[in-house]
Amino acid sequence: MSNEIKEVQTMKEEQLKWVGKRVKRIDGPEKVTGEQKYKTDLKFPNMVWGKVLRAKYPFAKIKSIDIAKALEHPEVICVLTHKDIPGFNGFGIVTPDQPVLCEDVVRCLGDAVALVAAETEEAAKEILELIHVDYDPLEAVTDPESAMVQGAPQLHPDGNIHSHITIQNGDIEKGFEEADYIFENTFYSPRQMHAFLETEGGWGVLEEDGSLSIHCPSQYGHRDKLQIARSLALNPERIHIYSSPNGGGFGGKDEITVQIYLALLAMNTGGRPVKLHLSREESVASGIKRHPFKVTVKTGAKKDGTLIAHKLRAVADTGAYASLGGAVVALAIEHGAGPYKIPNVDMEGFCVFTNNGIAGAFRGFGVNQVCVGIETHIDLLAEKTGLDPIEIRKKNAYCQGEKSSLGHVVTSSVGTVETLEKAEQSELWKNRDVYKAQASEPWKKRGVAVATSFHAIGMGLGTPDYGAATIELLEDGRFKVAVAIEEIGTGNGTVYAQVAAELLKCDIEDIDVIQGDTTEALDSGTISASRSTYTGGRAIATAAPKMIGLMAEAAAEILQVSADQIELSENKLHVAGEEKRAVNYKAIYEHLYEKHQPMVVEGHFYLPREKEELKNSGGAPHHFYGYMTHVVMVEVDTLTGETEVLRVVAIPDCGKVLNPQGLEGQCEGGAVMGIGYTLYEDVLMENGYNKTKSFTDYVIPTIRETPVIETIPVESNENSGPFGAKGIAEVVMIPIIPAIMAAIYDATGARIYQLPATPERVYQAMQATKKQTLTAR
Amino acid sequence: MKEIQLKVNGEEVSIKSPPASTLLDVLRDELDLIGAKECCGKGECGSCSVEVDGEVVCSCLMLVGQTENTNITTVEGIGQVGGMDVMQQAFVDEGATQCGYCTPGIIVSAKAFINSIDHIPTDDEVKTALGGNLCRCTGYTKIIKAVQTAARRQLAAGGAPG
Repeated sequence: MSNEIKEVQTMKEEQLKWVGKRVKRIDGPEKVTGEQKYKTDLKFPNMVWGKVLRAKYPFAKIKSIDIAKALEHPEVICVLTHKDIPGFNGFGIVTPDQPVLCEDVVRCLGDAVALVAAETEEAAKEILELIHVDYDPLEAVTDPESAMVQGAPQLHPDGNIHSHITIQNGDIEKGFEEADYIFENTFYSPRQMHAFLETEGGWGVLEEDGSLSIHCPSQYGHRDKLQIARSLALNPERIHIYSSPNGGGFGGKDEITVQIYLALLAMNTGGRPVKLHLSREESVASGIKRHPFKVTVKTGAKKDGTLIAHKLRAVADTGAYASLGGAVVALAIEHGAGPYKIPNVDMEGFCVFTNNGIAGAFRGFGVNQVCVGIETHIDLLAEKTGLDPIEIRKKNAYCQGEKSSLGHVVTSSVGTVETLEKAEQSELWKNRDVYKAQASEPWKKRGVAVATSFHAIGMGLGTPDYGAATIELLEDGRFKVAVAIEEIGTGNGTVYAQVAAELLKCDIEDIDVIQGDTTEALDSGTISASRSTYTGGRAIATAAPKMIGLMAEAAAEILQVSADQIELSENKLHVAGEEKRAVNYKAIYEHLYEKHQPMVVEGHFYLPREKEELKNSGGAPHHFYGYMTHVVMVEVDTLTGETEVLRVVAIPDCGKVLNPQGLEGQCEGGAVMGIGYTLYEDVLMENGYNKTKSFTDYVIPTIRETPVIETIPVESNENSGPFGAKGIAEVVMIPIIPAIMAAIYDATGARIYQLPATPERVYQAMQATKKQTLTAR
Repeated sequence: MKEIQLKVNGEEVSIKSPPASTLLDVLRDELDLIGAKECCGKGECGSCSVEVDGEVVCSCLMLVGQTENTNITTVEGIGQVGGMDVMQQAFVDEGATQCGYCTPGIIVSAKAFINSIDHIPTDDEVKTALGGNLCRCTGYTKIIKAVQTAARRQLAAGGAPG
């Protein structure tokens, strides 16, 4: 821990002016007036329209591509195929196995085969129709487990199993032998869509100096730059990425979306700026989704409620290309046993290629799919033993300094028990019997349930994970704080301003925050992995003392004392003990300007990590995690199976809360996204074709479905974090999933094993339960 | 191409456009009013909501030819940075915007709604009024609160529908 961070740590609550306060979003006014310009809102003169020709089949050989007719269109600017790619024809964050433009084979409907640019959007659409691709369709691989079998048609040369992750600890056989109860079930999860409201799109502009500018919403502009450079054989330093703000991301803009298409087109339009903006239908068909999982879970426990063995096997449908699939499965397996200390575990996960679109990063990153197993089994155990479900969880939860199920000692902060205690004390939980008796109709039944989970923060072992920030003193005595990590809706920019204003002792309005700009801001990693508050906050906290040092030197020169006699107070530096012998920040700027001294400082740091990676785990364990408990109340219509979530109590442990309003926003949004995942959302595919095509048939929660949501944070101080903060953005949608499933059971007696819990599935589960009860008599 | 007269945010404008262009495209491409967004293109998300002669419509579903001689209000006409409307201020105060892409459409719908009532709406009333506006970030909780806060402030300031 650096001295700067120690200083930040020791700042007392009552000394804080900005951090921990309900500071309004600094970008709020632009957003509510429509003045904020997203990348797809920009305009450039003399523009042309770009379009992408997507694959006609989910799996097919390309025999030939004929663009002759397309080139005859009067409004055509260019038609590009794989032959026009100057560099490497592939992209992908971990394994670049997705062709920019397919040459020999297409592996999913989202595959791009050609690009066109034309004078108008209508002309570009017409030109797509004039490209003739001769295909030889292949048998599509659509079931991941069949895809794993020898002899299945192969998508890639190394076979259909992209990765196989294992984590073992203790002696699983002995664990099950010693168990008094064993539960075994299989759970299925849906292909959830991010459904960000701004579809993928943006601009490619070849600048007069020959450099390339890409204006495109994204979750990691600095990495996009490298992926573009690789495909276009360009000097990355000659590519500028402007990637903020995003009209929603949730992981769906982590991978390349259209950036390379924009770059390729821009290099082929004679210098005219090119715009691409996917329709919702094209976004649904080509965009990344959440991995559907099949998870088989076996859990052993003692009569006293101690969990002693947990075995898990997950098979994930990663679609046609790797993207972050391997990492998603690795994180899922790391979290497969929940935030508990189960001495014997044996968990494995397979990431499998199919022709079902492409799956990748999505808020929760695999944990959503596996948390239902352990949480459902704890509820079964509670029922079997008559023990309280919260007590069982508290009993088995690991605390700071204890060994997790993975066998490593968790040295970072752990808030599970505290979140469970808050759940126990919550008004909803205490009065659950009263609420359950108040169903709105005689044929409706209410249930209240609890679940807890966790989610890693940062990248884990084997992946670079660093933060960087610059602070510049401006002419008017204000500061420009640059952190490349994009704004995708979370409000991280506001938190950055809070941290900077706190440390530089100025007004928050004196901080200009720059994000998502590879020219102005240093590479600080992705906006993903619940890392941006921690990373950006700590990078600023690392840079700020340098700015203070630089200003103190200047103040010492002006005031003709030694630098160690200078003290910092609100908007000024003064001689210790003599408040009136002071200079303000504007005067410091003027002094530095006259002396031609630099006025920018940098702060760099690496996120803390564990020493040893668990063999075959793909990066586990992480150094720290956010923890969370949800209590929910549902009402189920027993005639239709329709479930409504009425109340949610969200109890996060994200370390110190830097902005309560932002935290609530995350908890509320995460809860509702979790409700969508659990009850409604699934992109249905058949033989590799999308059955679900747009918002007509993909239902996300509307305002009518939003329950009453209460946020009660637990602040387990994380020593390494800025002011003690960790991260929040993903865990907020996780425990609510098993909590809703358990609440449906509490209401109806029917257990749900396949999500989403549609009315049909809930109704059928109720009928099956009824039948079982009758047969048992 | 047809010459079409419109009144947008209080100003008379004359545009030349194919009458089958959507109102949304004309607002965004011809008039530089980019607050309204296209996010589904078929009236499912409400991100393109504007007011036409007092009625909130999805501007992606309305052809500009249909709006000849009408009075159109977009989010830009409701208020701008430096002179925000009570609804916009309430959204900022309550933290009811996150990525913000849906926000302009919601502001238009919410403002029209509170202008049509003379009380502080219940949660259910807000839910009914904004049922056609999708938001993927906020979970809607703070949007409900912001609409109620705006209604309360508007009533306190004289209650006159603005």
